[in-house]
Amino acid sequence: MNHRLSEPDPRTRHAARDAIPSLDAASFDTRVLKGQGPIAVEFMSYSCAHCGAMEPVLQQAAETLRAREALFRVNVAIELDLASDYAIEGTPTFVMFLDGREVGRAEGPDPDTATVIEALTAPFESRR
Amino acid sequence: MSAALGARLPGRGATPILLYDDECAVCRRMAQWVRWVARDRVGLSTIDVRAIGEDPEALRRLDPSLDIWKVYAKSHLLMPDGTIRIAGEAVAEVLRRSPGMAWCTWLFSVRIFRVRPFQGLLDIGYVILSDVRPIFGCKSCGAPALWARPFVWLAKALRRRDGAKGRPAHRAKFTPLGTSAATRPKPPAP
Repeated sequence: MNHRLSEPDPRTRHAARDAIPSLDAASFDTRVLKGQGPIAVEFMSYSCAHCGAMEPVLQQAAETLRAREALFRVNVAIELDLASDYAIEGTPTFVMFLDGREVGRAEGPDPDTATVIEALTAPFESRR
Repeated sequence: MSAALGARLPGRGATPILLYDDECAVCRRMAQWVRWVARDRVGLSTIDVRAIGEDPEALRRLDPSLDIWKVYAKSHLLMPDGTIRIAGEAVAEVLRRSPGMAWCTWLFSVRIFRVRPFQGLLDIGYVILSDVRPIFGCKSCGAPALWARPFVWLAKALRRRDGAKGRPAHRAKFTPLGTSAATRPKPPAP
């Protein structure tokens, strides 16, 4: 179930803005596999401390890369089939897609902005 | 540490709600212990112990100020009056409300020159326990604090020496799924 894309509860509107939409299996299909251009997907889980450390960096990276590529997240604790389909062995794992096809991945990069931006853009750079 | 939230919030009953990390073996044990110790004479629980889960919106329905990342980082106790106790303060409040532990809770209120020394010790104890959780096999707890790393390595070495089956080595900033989401039963279809 996708909680982020649904209509927010009015009491929670003041909560911190999330620059990274969450995807479920259906929206993954429409927004990633049928999507155009460079797309990065973070496979994560809220209970993973490394993903927690990555979060502020990723929000910053999402803002920086907004014009160049789309960034989404998939919660592997809920979307077990997607995690299995993409052979996710741990979190955080970034899988990069170009026009719906996987072109690269990064597992557990250092949580600093430069490293994460490099990890998210490198697979696309080599195809330009 | 408590945050005044003003009016009482929907979803909160008269019982405080303790949120714990269900992926962490140490936290699960603690939650079990709280369930056991926080029963009154007729067997009713004085604290509602709940796993944090994976739904940020469900948490915000409990309290709009809750951020799921922060809730996973430290214990949160949601009080019926709308305040939130965090970390060592949450532990003290849990003990205060546990009929089996009431004998020791006056200590945490003792003040000496505006300082609460026993609450301070409890806060330090909380931080130490939180930092050493990887020793007890919590793979989702992240990289151990610098001071705790030698102890974590020692614990791993001892486990290897004792013939415990070691997990394959993973990168330092990567949580293998075997200890978190992948082992969780699939949620029922809506």
